[in-house]
This record gives sequence, structure tokens and C-alpha cells, in this order.
Amino acid sequence: MNASTDIELDPAVKSRPDYPPVAIDARASHQVFIAEDNEQTSLTALSEQCQTGEKLSIVADAESLPVSLAELPLSTALYVSGSEGYLWDIHNRLTEMGFGVDKIHLLAPASAARRLFCTHCYTTMEGVAHTPYTCTGCGRPLLVRDHFSRILGAYVGVQINAEDPADLPATESLDESASDVKEAC
Amino acid sequence: MSDPIQVRVAAVRTVSPKIREFTLEAVSGQLFSFSPGSHVVVTMKGTNAEGKAKVWKNAYSLVSDGFDASRYVIAVRLQDESRGGSVFMHTQVKEGDTLEITPPSNLFAPVWSAKKHVLIAGGVGITPFMSYLPEMKRRGAATEMHYSYRGDATGAYREELQVDEQTPVTFYDGAAGERCDLKAVLGSQPLGTHFYVCGPESLIEGVQETAMELGLPSSNIHFEAFAAPQPGQPFAVQLEGSGLNIQVSEDESLLEALERSGVEVPNLCRGGVCGQCRTQVVDGEPEHRDSFLSDTEKADNDCLMPCVSRARSSSLTLSI
Ligand code: FES
Repeated sequence: MNASTDIELDPAVKSRPDYPPVAIDARASHQVFIAEDNEQTSLTALSEQCQTGEKLSIVADAESLPVSLAELPLSTALYVSGSEGYLWDIHNRLTEMGFGVDKIHLLAPASAARRLFCTHCYTTMEGVAHTPYTCTGCGRPLLVRDHFSRILGAYVGVQINAEDPADLPATESLDESASDVKEAC
Repeated sequence: MSDPIQVRVAAVRTVSPKIREFTLEAVSGQLFSFSPGSHVVVTMKGTNAEGKAKVWKNAYSLVSDGFDASRYVIAVRLQDESRGGSVFMHTQVKEGDTLEITPPSNLFAPVWSAKKHVLIAGGVGITPFMSYLPEMKRRGAATEMHYSYRGDATGAYREELQVDEQTPVTFYDGAAGERCDLKAVLGSQPLGTHFYVCGPESLIEGVQETAMELGLPSSNIHFEAFAAPQPGQPFAVQLEGSGLNIQVSEDESLLEALERSGVEVPNLCRGGVCGQCRTQVVDGEPEHRDSFLSDTEKADNDCLMPCVSRARSSSLTLSI
């Protein structure tokens, strides 16, 4: 990592999920493809590859997931594609319904934009692409950390200049930091 | 590790020809209540076949209700190839004796977010589920049990099991040719079901294979596989850290040999499942017998679980 910047993202943060490549689970009796919108091309490609089981495709958010999903058997595999926050909203809804975690496959999100949770005022912000980021709730400049909450589907933001209000580092794109992290690994 | 607890044997009961039950009460103070699936490790100080002093430490599931902290009950099956622990419990331990146990720990707790619990027991594998059932009833959790055994020899607690509508139990007596159809049991469960298996390895493997065939999530299959360490060839151990040289005899485990020499290694299950005792190997080839390390870790041969694993080479060098 580049040590000259003030913001260092720790490559060893364990809470940050990784998204390994997803393959079709050939033993599943039902194959459910869940997309945030109609632009999830890798999900479409995966679903086209799928030759086994009963297929079902859904475009919905976590609140509007059809309740009838809960009638599917335990041997159902689910594939989810969308922004990172969306993936975890769906993941949490599905586990609540009773699907086993190793049947829920999350496709790597296409965008590096993050859902951010302010640890000071608990505001949640979507599509955060740079750090520091001004909290839309309390106005504090937040350092966007790599620590991730799966329950909130969000990264944690903490005030960056709490000790010295004058100390405000330059803005950095999270996209770049993300690739930094990958190189460092 | 937490301090050991001194307990008095309040009662000894023969449950089946091979299974004896011991009721334990605190010598002073109070016992802890415990969660379903907990076990304790019992320290047994006796003599081995050659008349030499020997200490055994075996893990036993608690079969009493964890809500009742006035006593602990354990069930001990006389192992065919026992290295002495279960023989000691069966032949030496009497009412009024004092034993030392660890506080309860749990490596087999129910998943409380499950919508339904399916318990699959084989023989003495019924023991961890004895503490499940009362708690399942208190919580009103949907539960069903399938219990396979072979005649009276291993079919303990059939009478005591509180079979009712909320916790139905199906019995399968292998001696009468009855078999549990795993495919039917596993295949018919609703979303949100978790499965718990305890019994011989063949049963655990059978459940795992059937679950895989049916495409069930392995995250919902839980099993308790810890078995007492099995004897093996004697071998020598060099300890790099302390400079000690230790001889492990055929009927003691490496962990027991280390403890006998005053070397403490953290441990919890003493049966190769919890990962606590992991120890680094500097030289020699381990014979892995645990179910904790992954296949790749085993192939690397740079660590082993001394509670069950031994040496394939004539000696091992450990980093401790
Ligand atoms: S003590 Fe649990 S693996 Fe050795």
C-alpha cells in the first residue's frame, strides 16, 4: 500500500466480504436468480448457463421479495446480483426465511460504491464513492473504513478530524483504494 | 482455562449393559447451569494395566437438564477398545467418590434461529440430545428425533425420552432389522430446518452424503464427532521449546503424555474437533486423526492436534 497517504485501508480487515466466482449449484432442486434491476448482466449470463432444476428469476428489493419463496424446499439455490448493500439486504431476508447460508450465492458487485453507516448519528448513505465523505445526517467528515457490517450491509464511517478540526485529508476515490487493497493481497 | 470443579458421585446407575450413568453434585458451592449439547471433561486418576499410576481425561456429554444446576448427569459407554477411561468409570467409580471435572463447555449447541430441529442419534450418540429435549420443550421449538440403536446394548434412555406431539421420536432397533431411511427423513423437511447428528462415524457420513445428494445446505447439518483417542504405535517426542524428550506409549494420547510430563496444552474437547490443542510440528510426520484440520492443512504436516493424533514416523519434534 501507498504509505504516503494519510488514509490507509487495512488489507487484513476480516469483516470485509469477498465475493468468489459463482458457479451453478447443480444439485439444487430449484434455481432462483434475484436481481436488483434489469442491468445485472453477469447474473443473466449465469442463469442462461443453468440447465438443472426449476428456474425462477426475480427483480425485486428486499422488502418486495415474494413471500411465496418461503415455500421452496431447503435444496433451493439462490443467486443474487446488485449493489453491495442490496446483496446483504437480500441475504439477510433469505436467511430469515430459512435458506441455508451456503445456498445463497452473492455475485461480486459491479460497482465499488459503498453503503456507509455513520457511527455518530446512525445515518445510512448509499452510493458512497470517496473518502472522507460528509455525513448527510450530522455533517461530520467521515473516514470510510473497510470494516463491514453484514447486518447493515454497510461500511462503517468515523469522524476523521475529531482531534484536530483543521486536519482534513484530501479526498480519495474508493475505487482506487479497492484496487490498492487487491494489489496488496 | 477455567478452574476445575470437585464433584461427588451421588448415584451410579446401569442404564443398559454397556452404559452407566453417574450423577454428580458439587462438593462445595454451586454448579453452573449449562446450554443444551454441553459436555464436561472428567479427570480420572487410576492405574493402568501394568499397575502404574495413570491419569485419564475424557469428555462426556451432560445428559441432565441444563436448567437444573443442582446436579450434572453423565452417561459413559464401555468402549470396546478402551484405553482405560471408560473401564475406570465402569469398574472403579462408586457412590461417594470424588471426581474432578471442567466447567461445562459447548461445541454442539442448537442453532436457535432454526425453524425446526431434526435430531438424529445413533446408540450412545443419544447423550447430547438428552439436554436438548427439555430446552426445546421450554422454548416450544419444533423438534423431531430419530434414534437408531442395536437392541438393549446401546439403546439407552428409550423409556426416559419424553415423546409427545411437540417432540416426536421415531425408534429404529437395528437388532430387529429396523433402519432409519435418511433420504426420507432429510428430504421431507421444511425451509429453515437444522439437522444435528451424533453417533458412529457411519451415521454421520450417511447423513452428510444423503444431504449432499439431496442438495441440502451443509451449513444446516451439524454433527458431534468427537471420539475418545484411539491407541497406536508408541513414538518419541522432542520438545524444542522446553528441551524435553517424551515417550508416548501405545495406550496414551500425545496430549496425555505431554500432561504427564508437566506440559500444559490448551484443550477443550480432547477428541479432535475444537481446534484448541493445535500444536506446531517442526520435524517428523504426524498421523492425523482429528476432524478439525482441513485436508490441505493435514497434508502440510506442520501442525497436529495432540489430543487424538499421533506419529507416522518414529519420532516427532514439536515447537513447544
Ligand atoms: S482438544 Fe479439541 S481438538 Fe484437541
